[in-house]
Amino acid sequence: MSIELNTTDGQVTITTDVIATIAGGAAVECYGIVGMASKNQIKDGISEILRKENFARGVLVRQEEDHLHIDMYIIVSYGTKISEVAHNVQSQVKYTLNKSLGLSIDSVNIYIQGVRVEKD
Amino acid sequence: MTVRTLDGIVFTQMVRFGAQHLTNNAKKIDALNVFPVPDGDTGTNMNLSMTSGASEVKKMDSSNISEVALAFSKGLLMGARGNSGVILSQIFRGFAKGMDKKTELTTKDLAKAFDMGVSTAYKAVMKPVEGTILTVVKDSAKVAVKEAKNENDVIVLMEKVLREAKASLKRTPSLLPVLKEVGVVDSGGQGLVTIYEGFLAALKGEELPEGVTSEVEMEEMVNAEHHKIAQDFMDTSEIEFGYCTEFMVKFDEEKIKENPYNEEKFRNELSELGDSLLVVSDEDVVKVHVHAEYPGEAMTLGQRFGSLINMKIENMREQHTAIVGDKKEIPKEKVPYAIVTVAMGKGLKDLLESLGATIVIEGGQTMNPSTQDITDAISKANAENVLILPNNKNIVMAAEQAAKLAEVNVAVVLSKTIPQGISAILAFHPDNGINENKEAMSKACGQVKTGQVTYAVRDTQLDGITIENGNFMGISDGKIKATHQDKLETVKQLLESMITENDEILTILQGEDVSDEEVEKLVNYVEDTYEDVEVEVHNGNQPIYSYIFSVE
Repeated sequence: MSIELNTTDGQVTITTDVIATIAGGAAVECYGIVGMASKNQIKDGISEILRKENFARGVLVRQEEDHLHIDMYIIVSYGTKISEVAHNVQSQVKYTLNKSLGLSIDSVNIYIQGVRVEKD
Repeated sequence: MTVRTLDGIVFTQMVRFGAQHLTNNAKKIDALNVFPVPDGDTGTNMNLSMTSGASEVKKMDSSNISEVALAFSKGLLMGARGNSGVILSQIFRGFAKGMDKKTELTTKDLAKAFDMGVSTAYKAVMKPVEGTILTVVKDSAKVAVKEAKNENDVIVLMEKVLREAKASLKRTPSLLPVLKEVGVVDSGGQGLVTIYEGFLAALKGEELPEGVTSEVEMEEMVNAEHHKIAQDFMDTSEIEFGYCTEFMVKFDEEKIKENPYNEEKFRNELSELGDSLLVVSDEDVVKVHVHAEYPGEAMTLGQRFGSLINMKIENMREQHTAIVGDKKEIPKEKVPYAIVTVAMGKGLKDLLESLGATIVIEGGQTMNPSTQDITDAISKANAENVLILPNNKNIVMAAEQAAKLAEVNVAVVLSKTIPQGISAILAFHPDNGINENKEAMSKACGQVKTGQVTYAVRDTQLDGITIENGNFMGISDGKIKATHQDKLETVKQLLESMITENDEILTILQGEDVSDEEVEKLVNYVEDTYEDVEVEVHNGNQPIYSYIFSVE
């Protein structure tokens, strides 16, 4: 699936992979997120943290008519306030996609797939 | 005086001062906020987190610093708000853990606690961004560890930590490009420095420094405000307050006596006049930055307290126009060709524009654009040659009249339906002459069959078919071929009359009343029934016609 933008000079087609990678990149810059996780944990291995090239596996971009929705699967750090980390990811992803692709995202849904516990 | 150990009582006071100092400066820290999302809430978020931490500490009454620090860290976590708030909670979570349950801390213990705060804060993030609060806390803790080896006065150590935190904060723009671009230091880092300032004041037993923390420069806050404004507006006409106004008021004793100065009251008064407001004052002067429509009024307000110095007023509308160039007023250079066409529905408009239509006039069946509308479009297109595609037989006349009135070369292609218009646009070639194009485009109109599905608004009899009010009708190139109560059934009958063995492509333009499921059903039907035909679906969003088909 891809998204089309019309500009005065012609058309720009952006595949959802691109959106997923940018969204994932923006998310991991947020504090408290340890990594992106696959949306199919059973198939892709439980608690495996995705590397940059696989971000698309943890980010689902859905287009419903004119509206864009993003589902993100993340692993957070133990001891952080999960609701706040999720909220940060939401606003960061929304902002970054708007800034870099000019896309306006209607919703960013966060699925916490795991909590990483570090030895203190 | 040398303070060798730090206990819970003093630490409680430090937290209280840190929180208070942050509260006093939250607005200014908000103004600096450009990273990660420039929404101007870093100061507010940190303040709410810190206040929650401080109120947990208040409930304690302990001289055991580990207990107080744990309560503080718990309160911070409960109240953590925003990125910076979460980071702050992690810093002090590590800080509390690093104390090893000691009841009092020496400088070495304190340094260790700081260090632990850093590693805990860093652990919780996949990709630490340098040039943020993380860098500031890391650099200052490093100094704490180094200095604690030879320094056993807690106050001196804290002074050094604060000094390094400030230095590190100053370096943040060189680490994070977005800060450099805007010309500000990191807001979260500034928040931490503010807290440390409060800590040190409490340690020394001093009063809290009043007003703005020394490090936030007015210049930086102005930069950040401008940056946010620049992001907000795109159109010169959208600038609500036209003048960027900056001035300082040097307090005059006489005037102050008559008119006592109150920063908050002054700020409220100014906020009535405009936005992007910043007010900073000390004993001698108050500095003001505001975007106002009437800068004089803002200055008059200031003059009540003293004389005006360092005034600067810029007309932002002029600046903005100079930067972007006012596209509407500066005449474009004439383009060789333009295509003016008519369609109804946003989807169709977008579709036609994406294919190359210069201007799509809103209209069609039941809403025919006037000759004037078309003439306007021709002049707006600003081209040497204009091709008009009326896409409806009722508009052809108006189009031809407009063509006669126009001062440039205008040719009307007799497209009577949307699919014909689309085919015509595809046949357009910019390198050919206008007459050649007209011919090629008219020919293309004849190569496509148009089907339309709509509903009857009254009982009637047409083309030998009886149609009842409310039934659907299938029209093929102007002739009614099918009618039925059911939409899909009508479509089936219509397509049967249209599609022949020679046809290869069926394009479906989905009307505004047609759901995606309906279209899916139809696509499945077509694919099953006409195996050789390729189906393409576009969302036309057109009213009146549930479906427009083009068969080629």
